[in-house]
Amino acid sequence: MVDFLKGNFTPKRPVTDGDGDGDARAELEARFERQALDRLGGSIAYVAKRKVLWDDEPTDPVGRGKT
Amino acid sequence: MVGVPERAGELGWKLVADMERMTWGRSGRDALANVERNHPLLTRGRSLTALRADPPGEGGDAIVIAAGPSIKRHDPIARIKRSGFRGAIIATDSALFYCLRNGVVPDLVVTVDPHHERIVRWFGDPSLSLARLEEDDYFRRQDMDADFARELETNRRILELLDRHGRGLRLALATSASAAVVERAFAVGMDVYWWNPMFDDPDVEDGVTRAVRRRNGLPCVNAGGNVGAACWMMAHAVLGKRRVALVGVDFSYYADTPYRNTQYYAEALALVGPDALDSVYMRVHNPHLDRWFFTDPAYMSYRQAFLEMAAEADCETFNCTEGGILFGDAVRFTSLDAFLETTG
Repeated sequence: MVDFLKGNFTPKRPVTDGDGDGDARAELEARFERQALDRLGGSIAYVAKRKVLWDDEPTDPVGRGKT
Repeated sequence: MVGVPERAGELGWKLVADMERMTWGRSGRDALANVERNHPLLTRGRSLTALRADPPGEGGDAIVIAAGPSIKRHDPIARIKRSGFRGAIIATDSALFYCLRNGVVPDLVVTVDPHHERIVRWFGDPSLSLARLEEDDYFRRQDMDADFARELETNRRILELLDRHGRGLRLALATSASAAVVERAFAVGMDVYWWNPMFDDPDVEDGVTRAVRRRNGLPCVNAGGNVGAACWMMAHAVLGKRRVALVGVDFSYYADTPYRNTQYYAEALALVGPDALDSVYMRVHNPHLDRWFFTDPAYMSYRQAFLEMAAEADCETFNCTEGGILFGDAVRFTSLDAFLETTG
C-alpha cells in the first residue's frame, strides 16, 4: 500500500512506525492487569512462621524461640 | 485479560500462589497509612498485652463466631445460647451485628482489615447515605448476613445496638484499621486493645513488621490473612484458650450461590470477563458433609494458611461451621452440638 500512497502534505513532526507506542501500550495493559489482580487480594498479610511477637520480647531474633 | 486459556479453577490456583503480593497490592499501603494515622490515638486504648493478663470467658474453651454463609443456614448462636456456654465468645467485626441482634454481647470483637469505608459498616456507619450506597453494592449482593442487603435500615439498627451495648465491649483493634472504624469504636466507648498485624516476617531486621513495632511498641500478631483467623489466633495465642471452636468460618460458598453473590465477584469480572469466571473459582468437595462448595483465590489462601497455622498451634481446633471447606488433619470437623456437649 505504501508504494501507492504518496501523501500530499509534510508532517510538522517526524512520524514513527508506532513500535514505541506498542511498548507503552503493553506496559499500560500489564499495569492495569496487575491492578485488577491486586483487587482480588486478601484482607491482611499471612506470615507463616510466627504467632505473636509480644511487646516485652527482645527484638533481637538470635536465640528467640517461636511464640 | 482477553481470551482466558485456563480451565475451571486453574487461574484461581495461580492467583492463590500469588496471594501474598496481591494482598500487599490491595491493602498494604492503606494498612500502613492507617498505622501512622492511628499513632496519636494509641494512648486512648491499651496494648493487647493487657488482655493477655486478664482473659475473658471461663475455663479453657472459646468459640469464634464469623459471618460466613453457613450462619444464616444453621443459626449457631441459638444453640450456643441454649447450651449455657460459659467460655469466651470471640466475634469477627462482620459477626458483631449477628451477635448483638440475637442478644449476645461477645467477650471480644476483632477487626483488622484496613478498608477505608467498608469495615465501619460492621460497626454502623454514621455517615452512610443513599448516594454512597448507589456507588457500592458490595454488601447487598453478597451471600452472607441477609440483613446487610437491607442496608440503610440495617445500618440504623447496628448504630442503635452498638450505641446501647458498645460501651465497655472489648475490641482487639488492629493499628491497620481505618479512621472510620477507630472513630466509631471510641465514639461508642468500646474498650480498645491495640495490636499490630504482622506485615511480613518479624525476624527480618529491616522488615515492615519490625519497623511498625519500633514505631509504636505494640505486640504484633499474625492475623492469618483475615479477621476470622485473627480471632482464632487471639483465642489461643493471646487469651490462652486450649479448645477453640469455629462457627461461620466457611472460606467458601454453597454450590448453588450465583457468582454475583460472592465477595470478589466484581473484581473477578473485571479481570476475566463474564465468560471466564469459572477459571477463577475453585470447587471443593467436603467429605465430612459429602457436599460441594466453591471458593475464590483469597478464601482458598485463607484456608491453606489456616491449616498451616492450626498444625503448629498449641490448641485443639474444632470447626463447627457445618459447611465450607476448612477441614484437614489439624482441624476437627464436627457439629456444634457435639462440641457444646463437651464444654464444662
